[in-house]
Amino acid sequence: MMDKLKLAVFELTDCGGCALNILFLYEKLFDLLEFYEITEFHMATSLSEGSHYDVALVTGTVSSQRDLALLKEARNHSDYLIALGTCATHGSVQASVEGSIREKLKRVYGDEGNPMRALDSKPVVEYVAVDFALPGCPYDKNEVYQVLIDIAKGIEPVKKDYPVCVECKLNEYECVLVKKGLPCLGPITYGGCNAACIRSGLGCIGCRGPLPGEVNPASEYEILKDLGYDDDYIIRKFKTFARWEP
Amino acid sequence: MIIELREFTRVEGNGKAEIVVENGEVKDVRLKIVEGPRFFELLTLGRHYYDVPDLEARICAICYLSHSVASVLGIERAFGVEVSEEIQLLRELGLIGELLESHALHLYLLVAPDVFGYPDAIRMATKHGELVKEGLALKAFGNRIRELIGGREIHGINVKPGGFGRYPTVEELENIERESEALLRLARRAVRLFASLEPYGEKAEHFVATDGYLWGDKLISDENGSFHYMERIEERSLVYSFAKQSRYKGEPFFVGALPRLLLKAEMLTPTAKRLFEEHREKLVTGYVSYNNLAQAIELVYALERAGEIAKKLLDKGIKGENVPVEVKEGEGIGYVEAPRGVLIHHYLIDSEGKIAYSNIITPTALNHAMMEASLFKEARELYGEADEGALIQRLEETVRAFDPCISCSVHIVKL
Ligand code: SF4
Ligand code: SF4
Repeated sequence: MMDKLKLAVFELTDCGGCALNILFLYEKLFDLLEFYEITEFHMATSLSEGSHYDVALVTGTVSSQRDLALLKEARNHSDYLIALGTCATHGSVQASVEGSIREKLKRVYGDEGNPMRALDSKPVVEYVAVDFALPGCPYDKNEVYQVLIDIAKGIEPVKKDYPVCVECKLNEYECVLVKKGLPCLGPITYGGCNAACIRSGLGCIGCRGPLPGEVNPASEYEILKDLGYDDDYIIRKFKTFARWEP
Repeated sequence: MIIELREFTRVEGNGKAEIVVENGEVKDVRLKIVEGPRFFELLTLGRHYYDVPDLEARICAICYLSHSVASVLGIERAFGVEVSEEIQLLRELGLIGELLESHALHLYLLVAPDVFGYPDAIRMATKHGELVKEGLALKAFGNRIRELIGGREIHGINVKPGGFGRYPTVEELENIERESEALLRLARRAVRLFASLEPYGEKAEHFVATDGYLWGDKLISDENGSFHYMERIEERSLVYSFAKQSRYKGEPFFVGALPRLLLKAEMLTPTAKRLFEEHREKLVTGYVSYNNLAQAIELVYALERAGEIAKKLLDKGIKGENVPVEVKEGEGIGYVEAPRGVLIHHYLIDSEGKIAYSNIITPTALNHAMMEASLFKEARELYGEADEGALIQRLEETVRAFDPCISCSVHIVKL
């Protein structure tokens, strides 16, 4: 039998969800272990024995010098690095908090020093080249499973490049933007979640990050304005999971 | 001399400890939360209230629903909104799902490997596969409830001020009633296993909990009278940690499963109450390590209570009606028992429905001083007695007993 691939999970600053979601694979996790050996996964094991990883999953944003050092370490020692989750791919909620790090520290902790060497939160992709980016806050766990199986079989995984709306259509969900006037970001958000929030009759809040390409944020903006949402509301909504200009 | 321990493993988030040694004696222990700051209170400032619970959910994945519910409660109180019994029961059911998911993760995957001497549950599974499977079954059930009530296993947005996006169906509730009954046997086994552990850590002297079992209007403690957190709990910043530290009337105190049992045993379901009585003598000693046993008893409580709630809802029939929310200026505090202890969301909202002030205090921040005290005690006893590996192992076990959720503790604020 061929040697198992060495898999590492590195967690930078985040909510823990993207690391936890791997454990939520349950029996599928054991299927993955047919191909992989976990040699670093801080949340799940006390072992830490790797010096080289075939695949490294990195979750979270770079928000401190510690994170940056860990990220570089992960990059330098892995063949295939995946930025996993919207924190890592787009910055997620913490990167959308405006202001400089000093100003933010002062407002929250009440002092001007920065003894723990915090940085402005930024996604992993702004610091290192990644081999694959899988967004989602958190990502769909079946997606990461498929990506890891593909890599183990030597297939380059495919990136989803269509909006959430496509998944609403496939599931025949009623459009909440048109029918209920809810501020749904589905038209401009990366699909892949199977339109999870629209299943609950609620508008997409954009947790998989903004879809680039032919989508049209300007027209989404107009629709929301016509529905009566004000500028401030729309801009904040657009920026929640990624710093970008509408 | 300062002994710097490596980052803790098998806890959620990134933290470590430093032991300060002078003249061959342990003088101090510092618990350092090295997870970067996430500034949640700044994130929600100026935001429309409706979007806030979904953002707050992102504070922590293990207890996202506790954050959503605490946030919703704070917002509803600010507006003076009262919801129906049905909505309250469904929220409670969601919190129960979270308790099951989180306690099962903690006990079976994070603590059990210590009991059996393995570095993790995956490697433990070769010999104790049955046990790991039982843990996963409980956890998966908890997650199914979270998905049903919260909308997704992690970071669902179904819990809203005034009600829900989607309500469960009769069939879904019937499944919950059936499955909770079937899993009860596993939870009882967990109680036997964790009752066998020797105590370690410090003995807590003060306990704090919400006045209802899983949420409340106010806090209670081992002293008389209920109170709002500002009346007795103080927070302060530390230079060596991104998490603030809280004290109860100036003293370290404990929140979590053990405090809940000790302060609210009379609210437990029948089997859970019996088990509590059976182990009462141990539990009342207040050793923080008995939090593990207390969590196992809460698994029993959660399963029994989930069945009760499902039955009650089925008997009455689900109406699925949201309560209208009218925006007005106000102030509100939401108190919830997250699986690892009291969670506080406090908001001021302006007349346009935007957040003007927010303060969030998480269980890990509340327990921070107690954790340090426990580490100090263990380090003092073991330093020079045990080799360094054994010392570190015990310190990790001690921190783990608090089931700390480090991510959630790092943005604690006063604006
Ligand atoms: S992307 Fe979302 S779920 Fe994943 S770690 Fe970041 S905040 Fe958590
Ligand atoms: S519908 Fe939108 S907010 Fe919901 S999971 Fe999908 S991308 Fe995220």
